[in-house]
Amino acid sequence: MLKATLRSFLAHKGRLLLSALAIVLSVAFVAGSLIFSDTVTRTFDRLFASTAADVTVEPKNDLKSQLPTGATETVPASLADRLAKVDGVAATHVDASVENAPVVDSANKSVGPTTGAPTIVTNWELTERSPVKLTSGHEPHGGDEALLDADTADKKHLGIGDTLTVQAQPGSFRVRIVGIATFTTTNPGAALVFLDTPTAQTKLLGRPGLATSISVDAAKGVGDARLKQRVQAELGTGAYEVKTAEEQAKSSAESLGGFLDVIKYVMLGFAGIAVLVGIFLIVNTFSMLIAQRTRELGLLRALGADRRQVRRSVLTEALLLGLVGSTLGLAAGIGLAVGLIKLMTAFGMNLKSTEMVIGWGTPVAAYVVGVGVTYVAAYLPARRAAAVSPMAALSDAEVAGVGRPLRVRAVVGGVVGAAGAAALAGCAASTKTSTAASLLGLGVVLTLIATVIAGPLLVRPVIRVLGGAFPALFGPVGRMSQRNALRNPRRTGATAAALMVGLALVGGMSVASASMSKSFDQQIDKTLGADFVLQNANFVPFSHEVTEKVRATEGVGLVVRQRFTPVAVKLPDGKRMETTAAAYDPKLDDVAHITYARGDTAAALGEGRIAMDVKFADDHDVRVGSTIPVEFPAGRTTELTVGALTDQGGGGFGTQGGLVFGFGTIEKYVPGGQDSALYVNAAPGTSPEKLRPRLEKTLEPYPQVQVRDQADYKKLVHDQIAVLLYLVYALLGLAIVIAVLGVVNTLALSVVERTREIGLLRAIGLGRRQLRRMIRLESVVIAVFGAVLGLALGIVWGVCVQQVLALQGMKALAVPWTTIVAVVIGSAVVGIVAALLPALRASRMNVLAAIAHE
Amino acid sequence: MSTAAAEQIPGRAEGDGIAARARGLTKAYGSGETAVLALDSVDVDIARGRFTAVMGPSGSGKSTLMHCLAGLDTVSAGQVWLGDTEITGLKDRELTRLRRDRIGFMFQSFNLIPTLNAAENITLPMDIAGQKPDQKWLDQVIDTLGLRERLKHRPAQLSGGQQQRVACARALASRPELIFADEPTGNLDSRAGLEVLGFLREAVDGLGQTVVMVTHDPGAAAHSDLVLFLADGRIVDEMERPSAEAVLERMKRFDTARVTFDGGRGTPGGAAPEDGGDPTEGVRGADGTAPVAAVDDTAHGGSGDTAPGGSGDVTLDKD
Repeated sequence: MLKATLRSFLAHKGRLLLSALAIVLSVAFVAGSLIFSDTVTRTFDRLFASTAADVTVEPKNDLKSQLPTGATETVPASLADRLAKVDGVAATHVDASVENAPVVDSANKSVGPTTGAPTIVTNWELTERSPVKLTSGHEPHGGDEALLDADTADKKHLGIGDTLTVQAQPGSFRVRIVGIATFTTTNPGAALVFLDTPTAQTKLLGRPGLATSISVDAAKGVGDARLKQRVQAELGTGAYEVKTAEEQAKSSAESLGGFLDVIKYVMLGFAGIAVLVGIFLIVNTFSMLIAQRTRELGLLRALGADRRQVRRSVLTEALLLGLVGSTLGLAAGIGLAVGLIKLMTAFGMNLKSTEMVIGWGTPVAAYVVGVGVTYVAAYLPARRAAAVSPMAALSDAEVAGVGRPLRVRAVVGGVVGAAGAAALAGCAASTKTSTAASLLGLGVVLTLIATVIAGPLLVRPVIRVLGGAFPALFGPVGRMSQRNALRNPRRTGATAAALMVGLALVGGMSVASASMSKSFDQQIDKTLGADFVLQNANFVPFSHEVTEKVRATEGVGLVVRQRFTPVAVKLPDGKRMETTAAAYDPKLDDVAHITYARGDTAAALGEGRIAMDVKFADDHDVRVGSTIPVEFPAGRTTELTVGALTDQGGGGFGTQGGLVFGFGTIEKYVPGGQDSALYVNAAPGTSPEKLRPRLEKTLEPYPQVQVRDQADYKKLVHDQIAVLLYLVYALLGLAIVIAVLGVVNTLALSVVERTREIGLLRAIGLGRRQLRRMIRLESVVIAVFGAVLGLALGIVWGVCVQQVLALQGMKALAVPWTTIVAVVIGSAVVGIVAALLPALRASRMNVLAAIAHE
Repeated sequence: MSTAAAEQIPGRAEGDGIAARARGLTKAYGSGETAVLALDSVDVDIARGRFTAVMGPSGSGKSTLMHCLAGLDTVSAGQVWLGDTEITGLKDRELTRLRRDRIGFMFQSFNLIPTLNAAENITLPMDIAGQKPDQKWLDQVIDTLGLRERLKHRPAQLSGGQQQRVACARALASRPELIFADEPTGNLDSRAGLEVLGFLREAVDGLGQTVVMVTHDPGAAAHSDLVLFLADGRIVDEMERPSAEAVLERMKRFDTARVTFDGGRGTPGGAAPEDGGDPTEGVRGADGTAPVAAVDDTAHGGSGDTAPGGSGDVTLDKD
């Protein structure tokens, strides 16, 4: 039996090729993402482990900020001397390092990486743990000398003698590059500027005697953990965070991990799509192979093979396919990882593909995914194969499965579909976000399953409509192609399902994002009253000298500052909640239209007052007049009285609870913070059109800060949403590639099955071109069927997603019809592309051989 | 008048009498030493308005002759004309149009497109050509073949005999210059077979069509006006107004004759082509081993693959 299986596997290797390709793709994405993240993690673990001091003392910070505040927490530099006396300490170093100071060159161009990696300005103190060494020039001395890292110098064409401006929080200052430092370890992609320690302390942190952390070297024979205990004993508990090298490396890795996780999840998303669509392809291929081999299987059964043996034979074939696919996929995954590493290098992260890490988990995952998916996908076809009766060997049945009733599918599809529809309806009707979101997830999964199951039932009605005009448009060729697509609804349904899944996703996401864009537009129209918003990319705050210069710009009227800070609030219902709060200058009403449920802006921003979203307040028993204990970073606390409740329809500022207070409060409790945005109105008598070029001139030395009016602001929001869409389109691209493989597969097998029919058609006078057109049209109708089904499902999903978003204040619904029509047209193109090879093959068939084909 | 026209001068068909003609028609499979001659310099004229049968044992080249005359297969040497048109040397596209517009086909099995109903199958060649069928003629054909009640049926809903009648109607529908029927009764029981032969006869007598039928069934050949006997790629004999008995006798004699014939003539290339040389006959096999038995068998109409049901029964109703 094994021999027969092997023979069969080898005999069908051409037909299994496309299925194998689907497996290779999904395994490649799984393996590639694992290898890549392992490699990056290992590289950075090493970097952090080698650069972390034995023990580090940092300011304590319990509040993790979702938005950057611009404030730098410090410890007294005198701790270094104090700790140097602790038993077991060999040496201590003062670190003065900030990541929130943009650095520009003499042409006001940012020298920082464009990839979102930080620009780090720090004190030059060469230790054995330094990730860099001085390769040219000399060490910085005094207030106007600096070193630049070699990678940045290269990329930005800077060298010794060039000047840089560091826009530190206390104020901008100019430095001259006196030396170049080169990374001895992996460059994580950051730009580094080194100053001497006193300069770093005064110009970055505001005054001498401050440090961002203290590095402690252990004496010989003293372990990190023991040293930590001693340091902690010396400092006492409270104000400082003491970490061993290991802990420090771990927390550094964690902060980097967010970025890597994104890449990992994107890759796994691709793998998921590839797996999902691949399953359809494999099921379909095996179903067709088995249908074609009905007689052969019947013969095996007649000769005495029992059901189990037949089933096992098919599953063994699947296993072989899975093994081959996984192995190739693993190899492709290594290639993919190399590519990603190269890509990261292009972004300035110097990873070496020679140091690629392939953990044991990678091949395990690759084979589990590859073999598992194939095995699962082949299971149903295998069962069907086992059900072939020995009589099948004798009968002359055309293709098994054509005439089998779809009743079971109708019932199961109907039930699951009804459940899914109910879940979606429940989602649309729900008023609680969490309930709505989980019902949405459930509904999406159930309706997808239902559509896949019931797909074949929809083939007849939908394709009758889609291909209805074919006979009129394309004559007998059109008629035959439409009927061919209807011929085996199961097969057509399964083939189209692959495309459907991808397009449903795209349909849903595009409706959701179009609705989001529209909602934001409406909200911007409704709330933004300022002539201009001055902002950094990604809410990164800017130095307050920007604010001063803007205020001093001719024609500027009102300037309202916005600042963020992480806070923890203790609510009347006993819950402690960590979130981000925003602070504004008092004349907020002149630059924004805020709707209050209770109170007004004056009450919200007054001294000792706080305001929050009315819904959040209701959920947590907050009333106007409630006293809320608030914790700020660095352990500062106060109590604020609720002065007003806002009703922004849940929109607010995107932070949980929508906490707002006056600017005085934030300056008092979060000293040294930087402004995140400035809302600027033109002075009376100055038109905004006139003001704009002046503002832009003022901001020239600060290339990271942009002037935006309402239209620009909308565009910014659209662009941010578009990033999400691009990801979706990339996923769609992959889904389409695999779906095309599926259509090619189906058509190729159909062409083989219909060899005699094609021979007959050619004999009675169908031209090669007409034959090719017939196959192309069939392909188009299958592809468009999948697209229509997928998009219909996707639009329903999108509308439901919008219902959930509406609970968050995004009340507008928009269906991007142009995109949808474009996708349908695109799917027709996909159909044509998929038909190229099968059509060519059919038209090249020898007429006589085709007629005589058994 | 139709004849194995060895004595005629090669050239264009003269007058209206000749529907198709071949001169020096040679078809070889393979090349060099291993080449097998399926047709060995055959000269033949197919008379217009007559029913010609081509007979011969398996591998004699009769199907190859038909394929070459119908523009389905290329020739190795020689020339073929359909009416005034020389078809040897035509490109695939021209051959396709020629088949579509000027030739009708009936095959042994798998004659119809399963997705099209009977009416659509009948008009398919004209539909492909984008021509409107001559409705009067079409009605006459449909009524002659008794298909009026079956027009909306799909092939799967028709019996084997009915399917062949639809194929016959398709072959007739465009009033082609020539109808080729390749073992049209091979898959039918004797009653359905007789019916189809009757229709082919009627097509010639009543409708004035020209029919060439390849068969190895003497009973079928007896319905023709003229039987051409093929052996080893040559036309070795012909018989006007044949009867089943005479044909059977000729076949019997012919088989023993072939031995002496071969011995006497010393045919180049040796014996008959392999089975594979004649694809439509591949399944029939058993070349020369038991010709008499084989002929007997088919003469009684039991070819083994009996189609379900008689001509009048609709048994397969899948939809």
